[in-house]
Parts: sequence; structure tokens; C-alpha cells
Amino acid sequence: MSDSHACDVLVVGGGATGAGVLRDLARRGLRALLVDRGDFGTGTTGRYHGLLHSGGRYAVKDSIAARECIVENRVLRRIAPASIEDTGGYFVATPDDPDDYVEGFPAACAAADIPCEEIPVAAALRREPALNPKIRRVFRLPDGSVEPWNLIDANLADAKAHGSDAWSYHRVVAFERAGERIVSATVTDERSGTTTTISPRFVVSTGGAWAGQIAAMAGVKLTMLPGKGVMLIYNQRMTDTVVNRCHKSSDGDIMVPVHTVAILGTTDVRVPDPDVYDITREEVSALIAEGEKLFPDLGKMRLLRAYAGVRPLYQPPAEAQATQNRSVSRAHTVIDHSEHDGVDNYVTIVGGKLTTFRLMAEHTVNAVCAKLGVTEPCTTADAILPGQVPGKTYWLGHRLAEHEAEGGGDAALICECEFVTRPMLSEFLDDNWPCSVDDMRRGTRLGMGPCQGGFCTFRAAGLVAERVAAASSAGSGAAPKAPDDAIVGYLRERFKGTRPIAAGRQLQELWMVLGIYGGLGVESLIGASPVEAPREAVNASR
Amino acid sequence: MPVADVIVVGAGLSGLTAALAATGSGARVLVLAKGHAATHWGTGGLDIAAVPGAATPRAGLKKLGGKKGHPYAILADDVAPALAWLRSLLAAEGLIYEGDLDSPLTLVPTSIGGTRLAAILPAAQAAALRPWAPGERLVVCGIAGFKDFWPDAVAASLSRPEMWGGSRGPDAVVAVTVELPDLAGRHNLSAVELARRLDDRAWRTRALDRIAAVLESRGAAAVAGAGAAAAGTGRVALPAILGMDDHAAVLEEFRRRLPLEPFELPLVPPSVPGLRLYHALRAALIRAGGRIQIGEMIATVERDGTSVTAVATEAAARTNATRTGALVLATGGIAGGGIVADHDGRLEETVLGLPVEAPEFADWLSADAFDPAGHPLESVGVRTDANLRPVDRSGKPVFENVRVVGATLAGQRYLRERCRDGVAIASGWRAGRALAAGVTASHNGAAPRGREEARSVRP
Repeated sequence: MSDSHACDVLVVGGGATGAGVLRDLARRGLRALLVDRGDFGTGTTGRYHGLLHSGGRYAVKDSIAARECIVENRVLRRIAPASIEDTGGYFVATPDDPDDYVEGFPAACAAADIPCEEIPVAAALRREPALNPKIRRVFRLPDGSVEPWNLIDANLADAKAHGSDAWSYHRVVAFERAGERIVSATVTDERSGTTTTISPRFVVSTGGAWAGQIAAMAGVKLTMLPGKGVMLIYNQRMTDTVVNRCHKSSDGDIMVPVHTVAILGTTDVRVPDPDVYDITREEVSALIAEGEKLFPDLGKMRLLRAYAGVRPLYQPPAEAQATQNRSVSRAHTVIDHSEHDGVDNYVTIVGGKLTTFRLMAEHTVNAVCAKLGVTEPCTTADAILPGQVPGKTYWLGHRLAEHEAEGGGDAALICECEFVTRPMLSEFLDDNWPCSVDDMRRGTRLGMGPCQGGFCTFRAAGLVAERVAAASSAGSGAAPKAPDDAIVGYLRERFKGTRPIAAGRQLQELWMVLGIYGGLGVESLIGASPVEAPREAVNASR
Repeated sequence: MPVADVIVVGAGLSGLTAALAATGSGARVLVLAKGHAATHWGTGGLDIAAVPGAATPRAGLKKLGGKKGHPYAILADDVAPALAWLRSLLAAEGLIYEGDLDSPLTLVPTSIGGTRLAAILPAAQAAALRPWAPGERLVVCGIAGFKDFWPDAVAASLSRPEMWGGSRGPDAVVAVTVELPDLAGRHNLSAVELARRLDDRAWRTRALDRIAAVLESRGAAAVAGAGAAAAGTGRVALPAILGMDDHAAVLEEFRRRLPLEPFELPLVPPSVPGLRLYHALRAALIRAGGRIQIGEMIATVERDGTSVTAVATEAAARTNATRTGALVLATGGIAGGGIVADHDGRLEETVLGLPVEAPEFADWLSADAFDPAGHPLESVGVRTDANLRPVDRSGKPVFENVRVVGATLAGQRYLRERCRDGVAIASGWRAGRALAAGVTASHNGAAPRGREEARSVRP
């Protein structure tokens, strides 16, 4: 059975860029549909560092990128404050950082219109006592951290309010061409197996590192250079401020506080396939060793997991020879496939970074509108996203504060590490049913703390089972995943991120979790219902 | 400086077994532990061995005993006498175990809706070992507001025939939930709180009224659903909360009052059956004159050549040193913190810095969390001689008066082989008895039997 569906624009790839494109299209009066093979924000967006760039990291080398960052930094603070924690950022000169770079840094920031204030080392150490006491200079810039999943949700909500739609777990399996046009796309519902034929006037690929695979289905050759960046999650915020090395960007030179944890990054290694890569013990050790230049005690601190994202870097055909990924531009490019590839109604957006996702969307939608003869202006930089209180940025203590404001009643704490209560999960399930425990994680941060799902997974599975039982007694069961898959699948997924960093306390924790679930016969659940892991889950996520 | 004949580091099953064995042989024993051990997160059952192709623990023991380098290669013959001795001590404390080395390994249900192989279980869990008769049903009974037990999930999972590995399971599995007295509006009840409440006889009576009422209406109706012939046949699985200190009485009353035969499903930590085991071991040790101190971090271990002479601990900002004639290392391997790994693959035995045997760093963990072959790192541990003395790579003992027991012993894959409790009991029993024998000999003024028994404690 195959359904059909018509729309103005089909957007393929539900990361931040795809969500931003959908919102922009919708606000300009186009009826658009966004599809993703998995849940939204499970590709590069869901595996990114969490940094809201001030532009400081690019100021010396790439002033265009730096300018874009500071402009969009201000825009996001205005339109999406709930997704942003205003941590501020330090650029610190360690004894290892060259003087000429440090001396030129304030002027480069000024040239890019980035506020940059030098503060006394002693003041920085007072605020962040875990910092290396041997740092020589400190500059304060408006870096921050961004929560990607609720940023996507807010963009999708706005798009839906303007008449567009978004389908998760819908994979494009084929494009049909008629001469120089894509006339339809076949998408498969990854959960139910049903297929739908979508007939759009225009197709936008926001597939990022996967854009080459999407293009191939349309008969277009597009060479992506997926750049793997490894990040390490610590179980505490040893800093409340984003801390960067003040030098030419390199591996292991930035720590970003994100919610209850802090994330050290990153590396940059080209990988042939954005779905298949490893995180090695050597990469982990090298990152820690570099990170110790910022935080000398890092080697003794507890790591929760490692994950990696793949940057959507793109090499234009003429110069596709570069081997060092850091030298490839981080700026974005809108590729109009009518120019070289002979497809009139298809564009791809590549490159870029999360901080500039809205600008990338604007440029992309400008290109689409020019093609479709739409003259509505872009309004995404001015309109505040749904669910925001203007000026009110994210605060770490909000869950407890809200709980207390509501009377501090005895709500069942399903995930103690991240303060996720049963009412919160029930609300999430109401809005997103049917969904997996991993979907619940992205929606609520369930299982993202120190025990890595050891104590909340089976509870979340229990909540899912209650829904199934209620649905089946009401005779309206919508084929949800079995609860055993929830337990096994989720613990497996969490293990992937623990494996490369299993040492010290986290190895002990892993041994305890394996011991507990081994004692409770977890292997019987695996044997009972083998599940093929979805392809995007090959590698650890955040 | 206070003096002990034997200091045991670690208060899990192996450490307390060693302490009990040594105390029983007349030694002055002190148990030091930084905290609670694997008893508190285990099932409370005694896993001796469950390996493919072995129908009983004894058969599994034989297979593992034939594996080169496995602790059972040394200890296999000690398991039966050690187990019998320990069970009599536990029984004296009111904790009864059922099943033995020759009982068939049987699939029993678990609180996450799975099944696992077991043969020796506490009495409160033992009803799960009995084969399921045709028409017999299982009611899974949850407690409202208790978030560590989800009867719908358990029942849905256990309803599937494949969960029972080809043998007969219950004819049907149904979930019920009971609201217990005085707990309305409570959503974060713990197993320990519920168990302690059930110790209270008056509250227990009221709780049982409600559980019995639910089982008699919904549960028994479900049980009878298969037809009149099946009525009255069935069992009820409850979360493992049936009393803490007064467990035997609670279990007796549940059996008497409920229309279906009850049994406990062990839960995620804190494990009430595990706590009962720990409490019984601790009580037996104190009764026998042993001492136990929890919350002690080992600061330094003094040594004289190849003998340990004193142990200093840090607690509450002061250091306490105790002279000792011998040391038992019962530190629980990686899970217990007895062995610690760093990011470059170095492994440290945390009390004495003993040599650690381990697979290659690159091979530590399998790619899949639940790889059927397990994780190679499970075999990590300290290698010993046949007397459980730690040895170096050449096989030479590095300490004469130190014994290594339990999960810190190299060569076992306890997650996969389900041998942790058997290794703990047998090694603890052997170590405790051997060390105490030396002490007793020396107390009697007899000549020490060799350097390893020449205690460095001076009067």
C-alpha cells in the first residue's frame, strides 16, 4: 500500500538546518514537508558540541565566519533564549599558546565586531578555579551553550503553526526524475514499513554529511568530506563558562558546560562514511592530554561517555584534493543543482555550523523562493520562536525550581540524575506516542547522567508498557516497540559511548550495571526478540 | 596499637565468608570496608555455576574446574563443604536457602520481565523453581507508587513462550497493581521502606487485606479464566519487599493469607534479598566474636619483607592502625573498586599494588554490551597459588600472609559463567580457615608451620 502526498517543498534531513529551512519556508507561505530517516536531531545536530559560538574561534583565521557567528549569536539569544544557557566564554592563553596569536586576538575580534574584554587572570581563576593556574591572559567573549533538541522542536512548532509538517522516522528511498526535474520522492516509514509517494514542486537537501547519499538518489554527484569530531562528556561542570584555548583552533582545546555535564572537544578526522566510524582509546587519551592544558586535573575527573559528530564539510569539485579537514571552510554553501547537475528544482545546503543554522536556512530558502517566484521576505531573525519568554535564557536549576514552584509534590522521579519525573515523561509520551526510550532521552534528558540509564531505563520501559497495556485494552494499539527492546536497546546504545572511555569510576559503574542486569536475566530479553539496530544508531550519540 | 589475627578488607560475600571461617576457627578477626558490597545489588540467590551444557550447578562447577586458570581449578572441591557450612550459619540467623548443587538449573522470572537460570535461591524466591503445571498461571503484582517494579512490562514480556527457553512456562501471565495503606500520593517508595513497613505486624495485616482482596477479585479471576479446571492453580510474583528484619514471619504470613503461592522477584538495587543476606552474615560474624567496620578507606599497609604487619585506615579525618597477622583481600575486583583502570590501560590493585592479570587493553570490551561471549576484561584479577596467595608473573608468592578471595581472583568470567557466589564462598572459606589454622597453632605455642604462618605480630 502506498499513500501519496503533495507539497510545495520537500526538505530532506531533520537536523537544525532542516528544521530552520522548514520554518523559513512555512513563514514565507510555502507548504513544506520535512522528513528524516530517524528522530529529528539524531545526526550531526544531536552529536554536536553544544557551543553557541561568539565567533572568537574564527576571528583570526576566517573573519567572515566570525562575523556570521556573532550576528547569529545575537539573533538566537533573541529568538530562542530557552535553548541557550548564557555561560559566557573565556579565551585563555596557556603557556603553550604562541604570543603572536594572543596579541593579535583582540584586534581580530574587534574587526569582526565581536565584544572581547581582557580580564585579570586572578578574576578568571576565582570564577573557574579548576582552570590551569599558569594561564597568562584571559579574554571574555559572549559564547554560550545551546540545547539542540528543543531548538529543533521550537522551529518545527513554528513551521507547523504556519501550515507545514514534519515526519520523523521517514526515510527517502528513491527520487523519480522526469528530465531536469525531480517529480516525486518515495519515503518509507521506518516503524510501520509503509511507503508514501511525495510529489513536491521543489526539493531541499539539508542532509549535511549525508547530502552526498541523498544527491546520489537524485542522480547527482556531490562529494562530502565528513569530518569526525570526537567529544568527551564529563560527569560534572568543572567550569560554568565555555573555555577555549586562545590559539589556532585545534584538537581538545574547548570545554563547554552543557546542562549537568561539561563536554571537551574535539578532533577532526575525515571518515569515508558518516555512519561508520570508531572512537579509539588513543583519541580519548590524546584529547584528555590536550584538555589538561586547560584543566590540569582533567585526568582524574570522571568521564561519562565519548561520542562523535560528523561535520558536513564540502569540497567544491575543482579542489577536492584537501586531506586536512581543518583547512576546509566552515562557511556554508547553497548548491543549486541546476547549474552543474541539470536538476532544476533541487538545492543542497552544506557546510556551516549550528550557531549559524538560521542564516543557512535563510540563504537556502532565498534560493528556493527565487526559483519559485516567491517574494515574501525572511522573518526568521525577528520572530521569536514558540515557547520562549523573551530574554529568559535557560537556567540549570529550572527543573527543581519549577517543581518547587508547583508545590514540590512527590512526583515519581524516574531519572534521578537528570531530574526527570513521571509527569514530564507522561506529557512527552502524550505528545510523541509511539516513541522509543531513546526518543524520550532526547526529549527529556532521561538517562544522560552518571548512571547512563542503569536505573531509569527499565522504569521508562515500564511507562511504555503501561501505554501498550492501556492501548491494547482499549483496542487501539499503534504498534509500539516492545518494552524489552526498550531496555536492551537503550542500554546497548549507552554502552557504545561508555566503551571508549571505560576506566576508573565509569568502568566500575559499567561493571555494576552489567552485573545488575546480568543478574536480572537481560540476555533472555535479547534472545526473545532480536532487533536490528537502525543504521543511524551504529555510533554512540550524546 | 590494636591487634588482630586476621584483617579482611571488603564486606561482601567473600570477605564475610572468610571472616566467619577465620572467626569460627578461633582467630581475632576485623573486617574493614569502605562501604557496602555486591550483596546490596545482587539478587540474593547463590550463583555457583551456570554454563552451557551443564544441567546442575555441580555439572557447571565441574566444567569450570576443568578450565585452566579458573578459580574453580583450585577451589572446585571446596564449594560443597563451604556451601553446606555457610547455609547452616545463615539458617541459624533465620535465612533459609532452597536447592543444592544437584538441583536442576531452572529458568526463573525476573523483575525486568526476563528469565535467568537459578538453582539455589532464598526461600522467598524458591517457589519460582518449581516446574509450571499445565493450566497454571502467574499473576504479577505491583505496588502503586513503587517505581522499581512495573507489572505491565513484566507480564507482557513473560507472556511470550520464548522467554521460557523451550520448557513450560505459566499458561498466562497477568498484571495487577495494589494500593497499600497509608501510601496514597507517595510516588518514590523504595524497596527498603516497603520491606521495613511490612516488618510491622499491624501494617502488614492491613496490607495483606488489600493484596488478598485484589488477588481474589482480579487476579484469581484471571487465573480462573482458563476454565474451571484451572481455578486455584497459580502463583503470584511480588517485588522483593517481603520484610527485612522479620522476613521469615512476613513470608509465612504472605503464604498463609494469599490465595496464590507468593514468591519474590529480586529488584534493581538496593536489593532487599541481598540486604537480608548481608545482615545475616554480619550478625553471624558478630555473634562469633568478629568485628566489622564500614566506612573505612585503607590508607597504608605496613609490611615486613613479604608479610603484611599492619593496616591503617582513614575514617572521619583520623587514621587508625591495626597490627595484624594476616590479610584477606576481598575487594570485589573492578565492580568493588579493588581493581582500578586508567585511560591508558594501566590496572592497579588498590590495597597492596599486587600484579594484575588482564587481557590486552584493545580487547577489554566487546563491541556489544550484551555480547554472548561476554567481555574479555571480566577475567581481570590477581593470580594466586593454590593457597590463594598472590603471585607474580613467575608464579612466586609476593606476600606470605595475604589471601585473595572473591571477584578479585583472576580467570573467572562471572557475568557469563554465573559463578560469583560459588567462587566467593569457596575462596573465603578456604582462606579464612587456612589463616586461622596458623593463628591457632601459634596461640597454642606450637611451632609455626612455615614462613607464611610466622606472624609478624609481636606480643
